Amino acid sequence: MKTEHEIVLETKDLNFYYGKKLAVKNITMQFPKNMVIALIGPSGCGKTTLLRCFNRMHDLYKGTKYEGEVLFNNENILSKETDATQLREQIGMVFQKPTPFPMSISENIAYGLSLKGIKNKTEQKDRIEKALKEAALWDEVHDRLDKNANGLSGGQQQRLVIARALAVEPSVILFDEPTSALDPISTSKIEELISELKSTVSIIIVTHNMQQAARISDKTAFLYLGELIEYNITDKIFTTPDNELTERYVTGRFG
Amino acid sequence: MNYKLRKLKNIVILSLSVGATGIGLFFLGFILYDLISKGFSSINIELFTVDQTPPILDDVKGGLRHAFIGQIILTVVATLIAVPLGLLGGTYLAEYGRHKRIGRVISMLADISVSMPSIIVGTFVYAILVKPLGSYNGFAGAIALAIIMLPVITRTTEEMLKLVPWTLREAAFALGASYNNLIVKVVWRGAATGIFTGVLLAIARVAGETAPLLFTSFNNTQLSFDLTKPMPSLTVSIYQYASSPYSSWINMAWAAALIITVAILILNLIGKLLINWRYKS
Repeated sequence: MKTEHEIVLETKDLNFYYGKKLAVKNITMQFPKNMVIALIGPSGCGKTTLLRCFNRMHDLYKGTKYEGEVLFNNENILSKETDATQLREQIGMVFQKPTPFPMSISENIAYGLSLKGIKNKTEQKDRIEKALKEAALWDEVHDRLDKNANGLSGGQQQRLVIARALAVEPSVILFDEPTSALDPISTSKIEELISELKSTVSIIIVTHNMQQAARISDKTAFLYLGELIEYNITDKIFTTPDNELTERYVTGRFG
Repeated sequence: MNYKLRKLKNIVILSLSVGATGIGLFFLGFILYDLISKGFSSINIELFTVDQTPPILDDVKGGLRHAFIGQIILTVVATLIAVPLGLLGGTYLAEYGRHKRIGRVISMLADISVSMPSIIVGTFVYAILVKPLGSYNGFAGAIALAIIMLPVITRTTEEMLKLVPWTLREAAFALGASYNNLIVKVVWRGAATGIFTGVLLAIARVAGETAPLLFTSFNNTQLSFDLTKPMPSLTVSIYQYASSPYSSWINMAWAAALIITVAILILNLIGKLLINWRYKS
């Protein structure tokens, strides 16, 4: 791996509060471009909270507060001037449970496109096909694009959600435990997909599954009680971690 | 001993509840039987094609065309008023006012208005739209019906929107949608069947109302499309015809009562079927 890698996202002394409770503590880390970065750690360690800082998802709820900086394209996205809506077009998100909208498969993708101002039907059609191909779903759904998305299986729904995120051409996609509600076969398809996608987008993935982090990520960050304990190349984290806590977690002795 | 006592209690309670159900069903059946036996024979083509004629003219067949059309106009105008208001009100309660005290208060008031006696609505509209204007008018009737529909539609919309999982809203936010946009494009879409069902049931609720119309649109012996004038309606016509001394009018009242009952029954059935179909999967 090259040491000089372009950085897509960077946090500087990031603190995040739910009311008075400090949930993410003083995190400074860099996310290189076109890599898969895994965030691991036991439940409640703040990994999902950290992930949701990157698209300002916490803005939707009262009593939340950010401190410090999150730099994206050299701009602090936590500043008041940043428009969260525009930010979310560039930093997409895929959730734990598949979230297809109650509309047809093609409309699911067209919705994001029209939000971005792409309303031309022909262009939408091309983009829908491209996105579905990138998400490895095209072969399964190309003959039923106008059918309700709720009729797809869980794994297909999750790939549709990924296609929907890809269609608006974001630079980063955040995955919040994307396979924890899926069966093993769907899981391996999504993992394969994530590994392929990193050539076009940068990926940050929160996972409970350490094998998953080891299989698909280039770098892994271990968080514990809201703090970044160790952040390094995935192989190193899983074979010779520097920190004892990390070693105990990845070897399954706590968590 | 104890076991026998329990068994006896069970039999007593069971027979009492079966009996109570039976009494209820008996009267329902009785009403329907009466309606069908007396109403069905009076249904003829003139009922729908001819307006009111003087009851003493035995050779001229009268009808209720004016009342059917008036009823439809009143209901349609009421629906046009109540649906947008109810939809927006319900949206406020389920979305923007979800965690606000004012939202809960409005929601509770709407629940109370659902069971408000309709004659109160009639007299209220009489006081604000009939008395000051000096004449019974169709608008007043439509507004009275709309006032009765409004809380029903508001509350159904609220409940249906709340059934749409919050995660869908988060997902739309994550795509870069604004709250307004995602409510209209995603949340309403997901709740559309439920809201439509609520509207149907609200229409069924007002289609049989007489009291609010008696004080507002009153009645008209002629077909009228002028909402500023008194407007005929089936329910008020049934009321007047049934309390008249003329057998031809009384027969027409039976026929109209049968038709309106069947219409409401059909609306309710469609509503129930839609609910079953929507929440089956």
